Amino acid sequence: MFKKFIILTFFVNILFAHPHTFIEVFPTIEVKKHKISKLHFKWVLDDMSSAMLIMEFDQNGNAKIDKKENDFIRKNYFEPLVDYNFYTDVKINNKIQNTIKPKNFRASIRNNKAVYEFDVDSKYSIKNLKFDFGDEDFFVAMILKKEFVKIKGAKAKVSDLDNDFYFGYRLEIK
Amino acid sequence: MELYNQLLQQLIMWQYELNRYISTTIRSLNDENNITVSITILAIAFLYGLIHAAGPGHGKALVAFYFTSNKSDYKKAFKMGYMISIIHAISALIFTFGIFFILKTMFRRNFNDFTNIAMQISAVMIMLVGLYLIYEAFINRKSKEEKISKQNKSEYAVAFSAGVVPCPGVMTIVLFCIMLNHYILGILAALTMSIGMGLTISTAGILSIAINKKSKGVLSSKAYLLEMIGSLLVFSLGLFLFLSLSLK
Repeated sequence: MFKKFIILTFFVNILFAHPHTFIEVFPTIEVKKHKISKLHFKWVLDDMSSAMLIMEFDQNGNAKIDKKENDFIRKNYFEPLVDYNFYTDVKINNKIQNTIKPKNFRASIRNNKAVYEFDVDSKYSIKNLKFDFGDEDFFVAMILKKEFVKIKGAKAKVSDLDNDFYFGYRLEIK
Repeated sequence: MELYNQLLQQLIMWQYELNRYISTTIRSLNDENNITVSITILAIAFLYGLIHAAGPGHGKALVAFYFTSNKSDYKKAFKMGYMISIIHAISALIFTFGIFFILKTMFRRNFNDFTNIAMQISAVMIMLVGLYLIYEAFINRKSKEEKISKQNKSEYAVAFSAGVVPCPGVMTIVLFCIMLNHYILGILAALTMSIGMGLTISTAGILSIAINKKSKGVLSSKAYLLEMIGSLLVFSLGLFLFLSLSLK
């Protein structure tokens, strides 16, 4: 009975969501005097999700995202992601900090893919600083590879993030 | 558990790679390489379906609980897995073509709304199936013959309630094909993907039956209790899904 219970629990655990959109995260970080002086994120959405989004984003069909279209995307697609903490948890000493406040949002189309870029102004101290990327609803898979990270003034370590209910990646600044 | 989590993480990476490979291959399709590339796409779609359904969702838990609460053979598990995946794919095709040709604009938002509504409908249906199974376990504990005919009905109900949620994975591939004017390929890819998914979902049912059979000696005296627990789990699953969607 116990064995059966364990196996049924296993099935419950894997019942719900699973990723359908893949976002590659490209962070650009500059560190000065042990503090973040520049923090820029580029998200590149997968080809198939991009195709759907671009159909809606590029309203005048010129294969570019104009200012009006950019405002529409920011308001209707990007800003609502605050509910998901923009899939980015900032942790200092393992404590989650306030939700990031993205600025200078820009959307574009590159190689048939939708690209979001934004800056984060917060001057975090790099002591025990970690960025955890993932979607707790698990509909979006955030993909971070070591070669995606550009960093100046410090070192970065990328590792897998296992939060039991979803997976993501951790970026540690050292 | 560590191994299991690593497996799930690996499944995501495989899906990420396959997703990229499928889109690149569909884009490379032209008049000269039509047949070979189409066959390649369908083969990848099958593999993608197999791996995609191995991740969370797609009614595997429901199937497992159902076969815990109902004595069946492997054929029935196989049949149910395929019923779910085919309904899953047909639902995705109807939603995708419907939304694309009727609404044209605001696709993504409607796509999400429809998926959400379908999931809520599915959750209510799973709860109803759970209630029905509880009722059936309680009423028919002495009447086995009547139970067999009712079990067939509940199998269709389980398959329909799990499969009615259109698979966003299938919808994405179908839409991608539609946008590149490969309509037939989109439909065939959806069906091939559903064959892959069916195999995985069936495995969940077969596994559940295998455990049932293995523990038969120990649990045969507690069959009624087991059926009732399985039925309650099916109902709880629907309730849990419904609440998690409503609280969002």
